[in-house]
Amino acid sequence: MEHEEGGKTISSAFSDAITSRLGGETITLCYQCGTCASSCPVAKITPRFNPREVIRLSLLGAKEEVLSSDSIWLCCSCYNCQERCPQKIEIADVIYALRNIAFEKGYIPDIYSQFASAISNDGRIAKVSQFMENKRPTLGLPPLQPTGVEALRKILSATGFGKLKQKEESP
Amino acid sequence: MSEVKVGVFLSDPGRQLSEILDFSALANYLKNVSGVVFVARGSEFWRGKGLKTIVDAIESGKINRVVVAETLPKLSEVKIAQAMEDAGLNSYLMEFIDLKDHCVWPHRETPSEATEKAKAMLLGAIERAKLLEPLEKLEFSTLKSALVIGGGIAGMQTAVDLADLGFEVNIVEKEPFLGGLAARAGRFFPTDDCAICIQSPASDVKTITHTSRKCVYRSGFTEIPNLNILTNSKVTAVEGPPGNYKVTIEKKPRYVNDKCVQCDKCTTVCPVEVPDEHNAKLKTRKAIYMNIPNVHPPIYVIDESVCKFHECAKCVEICPTKAVELNQKSKQITLNVGSIVVAIGFEEFDSSVIKEYHYGDYSDVITNLELARMIDGFGPTGGVIIRPSDGKPAKKIVFMQCVGSRDRRYKPYCSNICCMISLKHATLIKSTYPEADVTICYIDIRTTGREHEYYYEKAREMGIKFVKGRPTEISQNPETNKLIVDVEDALLHRFLEIDADLVVLAPAMVPAKDTKELAEILGIELEEDGFFKEYNAKLRPTETKLKGVYLCGGATFPKDAPTTSLHAHSAAMKAAKFLTTGKIVKDQKTAVINEEYCGDCEFCPVTCPYGAISLVPTTEDHFVAKISDLLCEGCGICVGTCPLNAIELRHSRPNQMLAQMKALMSVNGTSKPLVLAICCSECGHTSVDSSGMAMMQYPANVRVMKVPCTGILQIHQFLEAFKAGAHGVMVVGCKSNGCHYEVGVQKAEKKVELAKALLKEYGIEPERLEMFNMVFIEGDKFAEAAQMMTERLEKLGSLQLMESS
Repeated sequence: MEHEEGGKTISSAFSDAITSRLGGETITLCYQCGTCASSCPVAKITPRFNPREVIRLSLLGAKEEVLSSDSIWLCCSCYNCQERCPQKIEIADVIYALRNIAFEKGYIPDIYSQFASAISNDGRIAKVSQFMENKRPTLGLPPLQPTGVEALRKILSATGFGKLKQKEESP
Repeated sequence: MSEVKVGVFLSDPGRQLSEILDFSALANYLKNVSGVVFVARGSEFWRGKGLKTIVDAIESGKINRVVVAETLPKLSEVKIAQAMEDAGLNSYLMEFIDLKDHCVWPHRETPSEATEKAKAMLLGAIERAKLLEPLEKLEFSTLKSALVIGGGIAGMQTAVDLADLGFEVNIVEKEPFLGGLAARAGRFFPTDDCAICIQSPASDVKTITHTSRKCVYRSGFTEIPNLNILTNSKVTAVEGPPGNYKVTIEKKPRYVNDKCVQCDKCTTVCPVEVPDEHNAKLKTRKAIYMNIPNVHPPIYVIDESVCKFHECAKCVEICPTKAVELNQKSKQITLNVGSIVVAIGFEEFDSSVIKEYHYGDYSDVITNLELARMIDGFGPTGGVIIRPSDGKPAKKIVFMQCVGSRDRRYKPYCSNICCMISLKHATLIKSTYPEADVTICYIDIRTTGREHEYYYEKAREMGIKFVKGRPTEISQNPETNKLIVDVEDALLHRFLEIDADLVVLAPAMVPAKDTKELAEILGIELEEDGFFKEYNAKLRPTETKLKGVYLCGGATFPKDAPTTSLHAHSAAMKAAKFLTTGKIVKDQKTAVINEEYCGDCEFCPVTCPYGAISLVPTTEDHFVAKISDLLCEGCGICVGTCPLNAIELRHSRPNQMLAQMKALMSVNGTSKPLVLAICCSECGHTSVDSSGMAMMQYPANVRVMKVPCTGILQIHQFLEAFKAGAHGVMVVGCKSNGCHYEVGVQKAEKKVELAKALLKEYGIEPERLEMFNMVFIEGDKFAEAAQMMTERLEKLGSLQLMESS
């Protein structure tokens, strides 16, 4: 499992990458008790996500496996695991840290890039179809107002969200 | 004082030092040093002919100061000091240097520089020796009696040991009966025998063995004549110096005297019924009660918080021996003891704070101690394992490990004994009820003691199920009232919802309730985990920083019964050693106050880590500090703290230090800038020793001066060092958390920081002063630091000081 990479084993290089990131600092405290997994509403319904396994794979240095799978994107951020972890590991935040690393490496599920383009193109978090717009008056709703997307784009580019859009456009 | 006549003794074992050092140059140099009247060179001076040379020189009156350059520090120092005393010269008039490890080995590649450094080292020792003063051996008488606080297995064993050795022993227990936690544990691992025996440790004293059995049960603990048992009692104050402690104890009334014949008639008439704490509230008891048969003392007690007293008094009427006395009052008892042993043990963590486990909400969630009461045949269920909610037998039982332990939200440590307690309970249940379905949920099973792994093996053989996973929650099926334990089997990657009649938590073991209060009363410290802090966890595990005060058992950390016994006997040995001499002997290398300079600032009493300084009022309506020679350990932290220079250490006076400093800086002999390394006598100085022993090389411009503790240093001394010719100053102390005088090195660190700021103001580069922390084995670190400092100073260039007017 461990290979030398620039004087560091791969596993420690990956866990260093996680601990040096906001939210990822506490990951190395894990002793695999499984409290997070049994607290997790997602893990209970799908084998595709288990916070304990994500942490274990990360600490063992299985970088590609962790970053490329859809597992880390399935966390619903309920923070139940984080509340109950006996080692005070900020598990939900660790998952965010992993998502950030994954994003930088170019791994991002479609739904997130669609979300990103929706927000920067239209200023809305969901695409509004013509059908929906036509439907509104029949329900007594006023027509949608422009969103001020120009101002929003400035904020997005200042906060680095613009990068997300580039990623989406590049491939 | 008569004229100072210094004799210098240069040892050269096997002529190995003279291969590097020019001894004739040294001898010539010494001839011209004022005060030196005698110089001898020999193979060794700490025994045989060499030692006789010193003794003869003293006895003939030729010398009255001894400077020895000898190898084998400590060993040779002690031998020479003893010989000096025998020859009639106070042994504190000696200065010792180690030319081999401090000069020859580290500078063996530059022999001429080594010789010049040796001159400086000798001159430093001579100048200091000239200013030394004779010191006395101090003796303080101590009492030959002891107090043991806590009547559990630790305290009882310590008390028996000390009583058998003939000391007057008092044992104080806050509960009405002896036995502590152990008396409630039912059975003990690793032998599964009855913990109840623990209530009566055996005495070796012959006079009472005819009343004893081989089984320690009914050994006659209460019959040991020089053992005074105080139950229902609490220590409320401790005063006085070590060896003469005055202890105030509050003894609550028992309301029953020793005429009690345990006929139990009183409980049949008592109308008050309350939950029985001793039996985990699984049954009730009366206001007058005895918690289990055969407890000590065998006298009933009245629970004053619930008794109706004279309104009822039915027990008084029925008692055939007139043992009930409702008018008893609380008593204050004063004891004078030489030694105190703290044995107050530990208790279970309050699991109810972990809300998701619902301890306290669901009555079928219990703790291991409560389960122990059910397993105990004397217990509330007579040995039957039931569901407290309906009293029916529990068939499906789930144990949950690490409840509050290894949990950084509560107790980050592993509580040491809970894995074994759960394994013991699980196997006991399974052997009585083979059909019981028992599961243990664990993070890691830790069975490190003798015979302990066997329990784990036996448990697997018996079909006890192990789930590696810490449950996230206990819930209750609202229809069946059955408990459901929600856990991930981490090995199978599978989520389990285990049905249970009974869930047994293995709570963390935490310090006993009164720990903090008692620590304050005694003036001793607690560790971060809340347990009592030992003097040294490795080599002095039962001692505290207070002489005559010892610790044992679970008071320092949760322990199983075998370890507690070891600890208890060990504490008894230490206490006996202290008590048996009847006196404390120590040297007078203590601090002394110059009352003329002392003001009312209160800095030193607060800073002294040993509580040796008190403020006493003087006639002119102000206070002066007073130092107890008994408590003073001679670190000098007060000296470093006093803003008025009103305190000095008798064996490290400022003039002695200054003279040595100037001498060390008087000869250079190298082309490099002089560095003064001020080292504490513990880790700092010994790391210099070890760098020499390992023959590590560093430049000879680095000169070492020993102080008791770096905490003694005052900022002006750094300036004096620069004035004396140092271009750089190293302060070498113990590790920040490893100071042998508790806080000295931390004080020094702060002072170095402050001094750096001050140096900047004076136009001196602050980098010329540096603090280092190291331990004995880090000789390499000292050599590196010396090298680094020299290189740094070479870059900075020589120090230009303005001549002060």
